[in-house]
Amino acid sequence: MAVNARRGANVVALLIVLALMLIAGIAIGSVGLAPATVVHALLHPHGDDVATTIVWALRLPRVLIALLVGGALAVSGTMLQGLLRNGLVDPYLTGGSAGAAFTIAVAIVLGAPAPSFAALAFVAALGTTLGVAALARSGRGVAPERLILAGIAVSSLFAGLTTLVIIEWASSSASLEILSWLGGSLAGHGWNDLGWAALYATAGAVLALAAVPALNALRLGDVRARALGVDLDRTRWLVLIASSLLVAAAVSVSGVVGYVGLIVPHVVRRLCGSDTRWAVPASVPAGAIVVLLADVIARTASTHQELPIGVLLSVVGVPAFLYLGFLRRRAA
Amino acid sequence: MIDARGVQLGYPDRVVLRDVTLSLHPGELVAIVGPNGSGKSTLLRALAGTLVPQLGEIAVDGRRASTLGPAERARRVALVAAEEHVDDGVGVREAVALGRLAHRPWWRWSGDARDEEIVEEALARVALAPLADRAIATLSSGERQRVWIATALAQEAPALLLDEPTSHLDLAGAYATLDVLHGLAADGAAIAVVLHDLNLAGAAVDRVVLIGEGTVLADGPVDAVFRSDLLSRAYGAEITVLRTTDGTLVAAPARRPRNGR
Repeated sequence: MAVNARRGANVVALLIVLALMLIAGIAIGSVGLAPATVVHALLHPHGDDVATTIVWALRLPRVLIALLVGGALAVSGTMLQGLLRNGLVDPYLTGGSAGAAFTIAVAIVLGAPAPSFAALAFVAALGTTLGVAALARSGRGVAPERLILAGIAVSSLFAGLTTLVIIEWASSSASLEILSWLGGSLAGHGWNDLGWAALYATAGAVLALAAVPALNALRLGDVRARALGVDLDRTRWLVLIASSLLVAAAVSVSGVVGYVGLIVPHVVRRLCGSDTRWAVPASVPAGAIVVLLADVIARTASTHQELPIGVLLSVVGVPAFLYLGFLRRRAA
Repeated sequence: MIDARGVQLGYPDRVVLRDVTLSLHPGELVAIVGPNGSGKSTLLRALAGTLVPQLGEIAVDGRRASTLGPAERARRVALVAAEEHVDDGVGVREAVALGRLAHRPWWRWSGDARDEEIVEEALARVALAPLADRAIATLSSGERQRVWIATALAQEAPALLLDEPTSHLDLAGAYATLDVLHGLAADGAAIAVVLHDLNLAGAAVDRVVLIGEGTVLADGPVDAVFRSDLLSRAYGAEITVLRTTDGTLVAAPARRPRNGR
């Protein structure tokens, strides 16, 4: 069918851009590498030249983290927007990032070792999200309005507490450290953090795939989906748990990277339509491309220090989205 | 097929219908009529098994409706609910294909050739084949109603329940819809349809269930239910029943006093 051919072509285009972005992400940095050198190093992992070390020890884990963060946040956003049938929903809505931010702020003030942050952020994000889901419980299921309200309330609570920690207890260097975590960064993580995050993100992705047919039916309305045999309560829990795992995995290695989970689903729906069998898988390359691009800019835009990737996405990504999504359309 | 015995229906804060006993049989097209807010849609939801009765029991194929899993229920009973928002960009064929959801395991994302055949048949049965590639959002309300009927047909459930499928339709459209339902009943389906228009029920179905005063006031052939006293009681307004030259019973409003005369 013509529609599926167009969707397929767009997915292939996304995958090609993703492959190019991965190579560019490895090539670009304080020490520039030629694309051919990158490909050579990737194919020969046991070489002993500097390029191989840079590629395998530093840049490859970093671009894979970018892929994981972008893919996880975008899949989570696409699923939650479909579940709640609301394009304003962001994966952080359920409190995961706010809970993790507060935990990391406390950990920094208490002088916890930096290598423990990824695990702490993961546990806090997962715990907060599932806690919000439990607050929104209604009968066997979860009530969408209660979920949104509980998520906003808990997020505000943790945001307030985080500010309190910064103002009252953090030294100036600790404050800077907390702020840089809040600004989002892919720096400082190696294969170990990536491995754990990938494990949890994969678990989330498998649950997400199981929810795809039900999410598809939900596009016809909740009542119709139930009449078609969808177990609404089970679907809501499945999506919430999948999304919690994905968000927690992303937050553990990136801090707070905003707007990807809100905006990428809109881009994906425009490219591949709202059929979740296309939109959910296509969210992975689309989200990864956005985060990879942002990370390359974050690493190279300023000569003296990295820019926070979350801040960069807000400052550069959001105006670009607004231009593409609204202003250009109005002009046309 | 579907049996309700001594059923009381409602919501935590109020009772809508009490003491409802009725059965739907294969090959039968039944109209459920009654005034606004009398509980027609509530009754339909309960018969479909999505609303659990407060008292009494509803059985589908001899099994308690509330014990059927969602997919199992969808394979036995198809429900065409009243209008509900559909996401932009959902295509007609795509929606009808979702009718096959309950017939495949959760890990299979798409139907096979047999599913596709059933979807095309359902589209053809309601004359939607030419519009199959259109987005639902671009259809007229009558065409949209047919999409939901086709989706229910693709479900291949032996019982079909429809909530006002003829609302928004002109008379020709309503007849066309009821003709499709008659055809399905002739093929052995058990069909109950909530109709807002009493006279459409009188003209087009064999059996009428009249809801009023919080219960089933009458259940039987049109001749037995279309009685001035029963209809007036159910609707709380004076209604006269007339017989037209072709024998159709018509519920007519009684003349109202005007300007004091």
